[in-house]
Amino acid sequence: MDTVSLIDIAGYLPENRVGADYFAQFAATDRLADNIMFRAPKFRHHIASDENAVDMAERAVAPLTERNGAELISNVDILITHTQLPDVPILGTGGELARRMGITPEWVVDLHNGGCASFVYMIKLARQIMQTSDASTALIVSVQNSAGQIFTQSEVRTLAQSAVPGDGAGACLLVKSAAAPVLGLECRTYPEFAGDMTAAVDPPRKYWETGTGQLHIGFTESKIAKVFARGNRLVPEVAMAVCKQIGIAPDEIDTLVTNQPNRLFLRNWRDALELPAERHPDTFDECGNLFGAAIPVTLDIENRAGRIPNGSLVMMSAFAHAGDFAGAGAIRWGAAPAGGVR
Amino acid sequence: MTAHEIAALPDLPADLPGLVRIETSDRHATTPIIMDMLRSVYPHDQVFGKYCTVNEYIDCPPDEVFRYLSDTRSLEEWTYSLRGFTPTDEDGLWLAYDRLGDSTEIYTRTVAHADARTVDYHCAWDQGKHLWMVYLMRVVDARTVLDVEGSVVLWTNCHHPFYDENPYPETAPADRVPWVGDFWDMFAAGHQLEMSNLKAICEYRWANNLPVTPNWMGE
Repeated sequence: MDTVSLIDIAGYLPENRVGADYFAQFAATDRLADNIMFRAPKFRHHIASDENAVDMAERAVAPLTERNGAELISNVDILITHTQLPDVPILGTGGELARRMGITPEWVVDLHNGGCASFVYMIKLARQIMQTSDASTALIVSVQNSAGQIFTQSEVRTLAQSAVPGDGAGACLLVKSAAAPVLGLECRTYPEFAGDMTAAVDPPRKYWETGTGQLHIGFTESKIAKVFARGNRLVPEVAMAVCKQIGIAPDEIDTLVTNQPNRLFLRNWRDALELPAERHPDTFDECGNLFGAAIPVTLDIENRAGRIPNGSLVMMSAFAHAGDFAGAGAIRWGAAPAGGVR
Repeated sequence: MTAHEIAALPDLPADLPGLVRIETSDRHATTPIIMDMLRSVYPHDQVFGKYCTVNEYIDCPPDEVFRYLSDTRSLEEWTYSLRGFTPTDEDGLWLAYDRLGDSTEIYTRTVAHADARTVDYHCAWDQGKHLWMVYLMRVVDARTVLDVEGSVVLWTNCHHPFYDENPYPETAPADRVPWVGDFWDMFAAGHQLEMSNLKAICEYRWANNLPVTPNWMGE
């Protein structure tokens, strides 16, 4: 079985950095704001009005091209993208991104499930393709772009849930090599929890139909409790499964990076894996809930700061939506900047 | 008296610390408190430190399980280490040996109530005058709580301060090293193991048409 390595990672945050006061001014008497699940981060970044998903993808990939050379990037065999809110409902960003980059990968996959854990899922999919074909290079891109679009609508921004999301994108480069091996991956689908996250419009209509209500995520108190209990369980569970797979104890994890729906989850997950806060970096206060981009963006920021030395053990773990998917992966890190920091 | 005439807690201040009721803390205020208490994992001490509770389902009728448990000598069979039960001069007080403590003497008095199917074992190491180790058990009809035939057994121990320090050191054998409280942190696992013994014994006897309470106990 060929070893697949994650040789570089990059993140992108839109310039528009939005403080919590932006939402405070619109806050209705939506008492979900009192709910810990929706306690707002200090900042989040919002996509610009003239920026689309492919722009974000391109900007996330740019540092990888710069650092690894156009030749490597132009010859990628596999391009897998995950876009939270595609520019066109019927397809993702892969094709347009490839066109702009001037590349013709054999595999272009727009992965639309996996949510906050999609980054791990894309790595798994790329590894599977590489291990069963001649493909030797993969580019993985995650674009999260709902915060500055869905959640800033005039009716939606008054809801407590709207202050939590943030926009951002992340990308990584995988190659067949043993330089920075992906040691283990665990992805699990939980169909029984599919459909618990709903897109709500009031009055009800199909999201693409003309109408008066604005699309948002349907949250109810009872749903929140269920999802919270699930999330508490799933992220440590899949991380533990990877630990078992590769024969390590959780306390051997040097850096744990998870999705970051709220601070409570972050606390509970590191508690569950018995890791101190310093080994579980997050970007919640700066970026809010980055959904599927949280893992690459946080890894990129920590990596550029020189806090993930080569040879250290990185564990990624996340769950999606209302618990319909969870994924974790361990990497023996090898993407540290040449000079220590970048 | 009709329902609307009920005036709850008229004798207490509404803001009494530790009192959380929907009248003064509505769901929106209380949900975050609850959410903050929900964790992925709970420290062992938080779950089993002050009270040690284990529960189990047993495929055997509740009256049968209750009758078996209510005989002190059943401990000879389903506990891990209590052996050699003999009656003492004092009515209802039994002497046995806890092999956990290098053949330590253990005294037991069983208090059972058939109506509630509660069985409390009042015990102590070394002496029978002050039975401070209390094993509280209750057998529940599984039809009522799980909608299946059989029994649910609830079992709780409370962390009596004597577990931390032998109150009657003069009664201890001179050469004995361990004290029962040394094992407190193992009680959850140990009791679960003993509960499994209880389950295995009762289920086997019931499934094979054997008396759940063996004949020799009636002698």
